Amino acid sequence: MELNGSYVLPASTQKIWEMLMNPDTLAKVTPGISRLELESENVYKAIAEVKIGPVSGKFEGKAEVLHPVVAESFTLNVHQNSKIGNVSAHIKMHLKAVSENETELSFAGKAHMSGLLARTGNRVMSGVANTLTKQFFQNFEDELAAKEQV
Amino acid sequence: MSNKFIGKSVKRIEDKRFITGKGRYTDDIVLPGMTYAYILRSPYAHARIRSIDYSAAEAMQGVVTIMTGEEVGHYGVPCGWQVNFKNGDIMKEPPHPLLVKDKVRHVGDAVAMVVAETRELAQDAAEAIIIDYEVLPAVTDASKAVLPGAPLVHDDVPNNICFDWEIGNPKAEVDEAMASAHHITSLDFVNQRLSPNAMEPRSYIGQYDNVYDKYTLYTSTQNPHLIRLLMCAFVLGLPEHKVRVVGPDVGGGFGSKIYHYTEEALVTLASKKIGRPVKWTETRSEAFQTDAHGRDHVTHAEMGFDAQGNIVGLRIKTFANLGAYLSTFGTAVPTYLHGTLLQGLYTTPKIHLDMTCVFTHTTAVDAYRGAGRPEATFLLERLVDLAALEMGVDPAELRLKNFIPAFDGVTQPGYQTNVALQYDSGNYHSVLERGLEMLGYENFRKEQAEAAKTNKILGVGFSTYIEACGIAPSAVVGSLGARAGLYEVGQVRVQPTGKISVFTGAHSHGQGHETTFAQVVADRLGIPMEDVDIIHGDSDTVAFGMGTYGSRSLAVGGSAIVKSLDKIIEKGAKIAAHKLECSADDIEFKDGKFTVKGTDKSLSFGDIALTAYVPHVYPANLEPGLDFSSFYDPTNFTYPFGCHIAVVEIDKETGFTRVKRFIAVDDVGNVINPMIVDGQIHGGLAQGIGQALFEGVEFDENGQITNGSYMDYTMPRADDLPMFELDRQVTPCPHNPLGVKGAGEAGCIGSTPAVVNAVIDALWSAGHKVKDVRMPMTPERVWKAMQPA
Repeated sequence: MELNGSYVLPASTQKIWEMLMNPDTLAKVTPGISRLELESENVYKAIAEVKIGPVSGKFEGKAEVLHPVVAESFTLNVHQNSKIGNVSAHIKMHLKAVSENETELSFAGKAHMSGLLARTGNRVMSGVANTLTKQFFQNFEDELAAKEQV
Repeated sequence: MSNKFIGKSVKRIEDKRFITGKGRYTDDIVLPGMTYAYILRSPYAHARIRSIDYSAAEAMQGVVTIMTGEEVGHYGVPCGWQVNFKNGDIMKEPPHPLLVKDKVRHVGDAVAMVVAETRELAQDAAEAIIIDYEVLPAVTDASKAVLPGAPLVHDDVPNNICFDWEIGNPKAEVDEAMASAHHITSLDFVNQRLSPNAMEPRSYIGQYDNVYDKYTLYTSTQNPHLIRLLMCAFVLGLPEHKVRVVGPDVGGGFGSKIYHYTEEALVTLASKKIGRPVKWTETRSEAFQTDAHGRDHVTHAEMGFDAQGNIVGLRIKTFANLGAYLSTFGTAVPTYLHGTLLQGLYTTPKIHLDMTCVFTHTTAVDAYRGAGRPEATFLLERLVDLAALEMGVDPAELRLKNFIPAFDGVTQPGYQTNVALQYDSGNYHSVLERGLEMLGYENFRKEQAEAAKTNKILGVGFSTYIEACGIAPSAVVGSLGARAGLYEVGQVRVQPTGKISVFTGAHSHGQGHETTFAQVVADRLGIPMEDVDIIHGDSDTVAFGMGTYGSRSLAVGGSAIVKSLDKIIEKGAKIAAHKLECSADDIEFKDGKFTVKGTDKSLSFGDIALTAYVPHVYPANLEPGLDFSSFYDPTNFTYPFGCHIAVVEIDKETGFTRVKRFIAVDDVGNVINPMIVDGQIHGGLAQGIGQALFEGVEFDENGQITNGSYMDYTMPRADDLPMFELDRQVTPCPHNPLGVKGAGEAGCIGSTPAVVNAVIDALWSAGHKVKDVRMPMTPERVWKAMQPA
């Protein structure tokens, strides 16, 4: 499944970068993530619970940040296992300053699914991915606003 | 012999239990102390197993045993048909282990089996097994699997080629005929992979009895004896007389339950290991991954014509996908059940098929309703219809011009094809002419011309098919590589009170044998149908039989029963002659009575039955009892044929295709129960139309099945289909005693190309001169075909 899109967030590239590299923030804004622990440098252990149409499951696995260029780009490698199938994704993330207080975050990559996850509801999967992405950015924005207020 | 039942639409005896929910399927059987198995399957199409850790699962409550490839990987299931390479080398036959040890080769490949007190506990424990996979690249398309650098399914099978094969006239002769052709129609197409979707999922129970040292396997199968033979002799090395295989009520097979599956042997082994019965029933999700798939050919075909429109040659290159492992008949389907049908109904003088059978990282492929014959029919009928469009001639006239002339197989000889078979009897022109009459062909073309100006365009598609059924003469199939005979057994036991128990090796999984066979027996003996019981599916009660597939039950199994009935009547006449004090030659058997010819002296069938078992007044030198068993081995295949016509309406704005009419004129030889034959045709048509418009297993680039559920895999439904318009012609089979040809597969064999041809015809009528729309012809694909390139 192809994954790509972009979104403009109301903060500087530096601030967005810091939030993206902070596991607590990420756990809070990523839909379905219940726990994200730093295992070693740039490697996170992730536990997520996701419901996609008729299938739902608890995912456990790793997320790895590769080739980080501060405030510019990184690659995210995710491998998650569950009883209903496994997901692996390879996504390139780019940060681009639109103005001093606005950053365009764009991503492009591919996700591969196996097991029941691949067999069932495959044709609604990219719709689900879009919904989850939108939710991620919405949560991110909410989190930014909350930080402003503090 | 009386004529009370044969030819009548007697209601199905078995339906009482089926439609009241009282059918007894394998999963309905609960044995004392029974345990439940769950099979852990590969989520990947191709991966190396680095390690398997089941320590946590083993410790879980309720777990009885866990088996892996380490324990049983040396056992494997065999292939039932050997096909050789063109150069004579034996086909590649890599092992198909009960559980894999080192490498998984398709999504759903079995890695471990957990046996526990309940199904849920077994599944929970299976999910606690940790397997470390190294995921490898996979290939699912047969035509790509043979290319250099493609991932190998089996390390010792170069280019993934199981074997290459050819049939027909020498290639050079066909090339020469094609070179001289006035017009050549060529077509590249995919006959897509189908999931069989039997209503009853596969289910097995293994039961080992340590008192009698005897195994029982309950199995949802089409052929219990064949399963016993394969499992005993080729898989587990068990003594056959110590193994009983029971196929109780079976809810559909369509060919997918011929295959001797690994799980049958696994539950048998596990029951011996733990000393308790072990039941395994698959989920629908597992059915999509592991029940043998059908079809899956990638083909380039060319048909050559002379200036007068006579077919001069047929040249084909096909890649057939066998899946990751060889199924029981997987090798026979694309070869001897497909290549041998490429004469079709035509006098084509030169034919050559070049076939490559290929392993891929997919579910094994085996017989699926029609098995090879639908693929052959699709190829021929698409080419003929397309050629008519290209040459600007009428598709019906092009067929009539090229049909083999009628022959009855009695006063005229059978028709010798260029692809090994000899047709038994046929009258091909008349089925097409009758179809055209039912269609109202001339009117239709006018209606079509009008519709072409609107948004709802119309098309008509023809398909005139022939199939080889009544499988099969043992000596013929043996010489072609079959590792079994294909006769059938029929035992008729007359009970002392004149009631009849019939034991048949044919196995009903929806065909209505309990009714059709009883009609034959009741009429032959002149007794009521309720006096006849048809017993099948138990290897301990029925002599060695071959089961049901290839539209063989009545043609082969019914003929075996008739042989036994003849012996009963012959012996009955001797008993009657003794009692009536005449010679046996003077006895006539009619309407259930043995009568001295020309007199009113007679004895009823019941009197004779009782005398046979209470032989106080009895001929000397005659054994008591009235119980005969016969084996019938056919001398030829049977060759049903027919004409299917589809009328479709396409919405130009959406590409949505509706089958408006479907006409089927079939000749299946003599008919015992017209209602059951109609039912078989209806079901076959639904499946054939399903392939054309709705069905197809899809894989992603990693070999994942992406439509492995009923939310994703489209099945034909009643509201997708028109009221079928059926008619029949009868050309009796000249070489079996009932004159029957078989009706189980006809509907599925003829219908698919009729629908595709109708869509193409509609598109041409609106000026879109496309050669093909890939099946399933979804609205999206049809719509795209109407857009400017």
